[in-house]
Amino acid sequence: MKKTHLTLLFAIFLASCATNPDGSKLDTSNETTLEAYNRAMFNFNYQLDKKVIYPVAKGYKKVTNQFVRDRVTSLFNNLDEPSYFVNDLLQGEIKESGISISRFLINSTLGLLGTFDVASGWGLERKKNSFDETMAKYCVPDGPFVVMPVLGPSTPRSLVGLAGEAYTSPLFWAFIDTDDGWVDVGVAGAAALKYVNLRAENEFLLQSLEEGSVDYYTTIKSSWLQNRQKYQSICSDNSEENATASYDFDFGYDEYNDEFEE
Amino acid sequence: MKKILALFCGIFLLSGEAMAEINGPKAEDFIKKITTQGIEEIINSDVSQEEKDKRFEKLFNEYLDLDFIGRFVLGRYWKTATTAEREEFIDVYRELNIKTWSGRFDEFKGKTFIFKGTSPSNSAGQIFVNTEVPMEQGAPAKVVWRVKETKGQMKVVDIIIENVSLAITARNEYTAFIKNSPEGVKGLINNLKGKISTNVQSTDK
Repeated sequence: MKKTHLTLLFAIFLASCATNPDGSKLDTSNETTLEAYNRAMFNFNYQLDKKVIYPVAKGYKKVTNQFVRDRVTSLFNNLDEPSYFVNDLLQGEIKESGISISRFLINSTLGLLGTFDVASGWGLERKKNSFDETMAKYCVPDGPFVVMPVLGPSTPRSLVGLAGEAYTSPLFWAFIDTDDGWVDVGVAGAAALKYVNLRAENEFLLQSLEEGSVDYYTTIKSSWLQNRQKYQSICSDNSEENATASYDFDFGYDEYNDEFEE
Repeated sequence: MKKILALFCGIFLLSGEAMAEINGPKAEDFIKKITTQGIEEIINSDVSQEEKDKRFEKLFNEYLDLDFIGRFVLGRYWKTATTAEREEFIDVYRELNIKTWSGRFDEFKGKTFIFKGTSPSNSAGQIFVNTEVPMEQGAPAKVVWRVKETKGQMKVVDIIIENVSLAITARNEYTAFIKNSPEGVKGLINNLKGKISTNVQSTDK
């Protein structure tokens, strides 16, 4: 089992079926406009996944073995290191930024373009960071939950963060600094490979999530938003709220009223 | 005056009961027992899948307070549900959870839990046991167990994986379903039953 990084998993193309077992649609007429839009977009992404992305990911899985997929994962992980480096600096994490840039340099050379994580073996462990986290640290509000075409579950802040990550990716610079059409095709292909590889590696986790769910859209939305609550604790303005873990909700009920306190 | 004194004593005793703290090391040992049993006697054991399922069902029923969790995940609809619906829901919810989790044993093969102490909870008689599961790549996954003690008996009432509470997720999902379903709680029960039979069929394949 690969690490269930829920943020990552739920940010990929999946969508809500919001259907009953017989395939009939749930009656969602009493929902708000944004919620109705989100469900519709989730459904679009879901169909896109089922009809295009998932079949491609299954084919990819057939023609590759775990060793190859691990190398692909490692290669794309390495391309994220420059973004970690920038965000470590923005957050004043000087030591971490040194580790991120060292990892990038070591793995890009000795690690054969990042396909092998040599740096971890030397004690330089990968530590993720993001523009989303940096903004959270500076207490930038998250905004409402919104489902984007192809990208899936998002908030305005997470989308700005995503743009930042794209801008700091070596892939972006390879794309923008050339007039060679083949390079463009190569970069677009690499981006597609990243998502197909991610989808293939999380096939069973997503399948079991969907199988156990009666309202897949809500399952994904709830999990995604809960996972993001970890960012709440890093905003200095929330120091009082930070004393309590986000999952420490009031879990008790009044025996006499037979109802949980909400 | 006697009545007032009795009232004060009653309030004092009640608040003492509510504030009763759960023993951290004891809660940690409780979770160690569950994870050891789960990994050694079920996941890594050399017995048939049928036997594994049986052992898992026993473990699940013994250590998880499904009545408590099931009641929570129905949210405000617990109150409007009939007694028959409540009982049926708890049964179906229990069965679905057992089927779902027993189908995912392989994902936990070779995994170990590293215990990272406990954290207090704002709910009386409850505590969080913090664990980490090392992964092949990257940082370990954080798994937190919410333990509740009632009359000296400990039970797990929630599992939080990477900040995601299974109880909250199920509650959000089920209440959203009921809200949008013309059949209400009955519609949810029927849907869950459908999922159980689908799971059984896919296991039989």
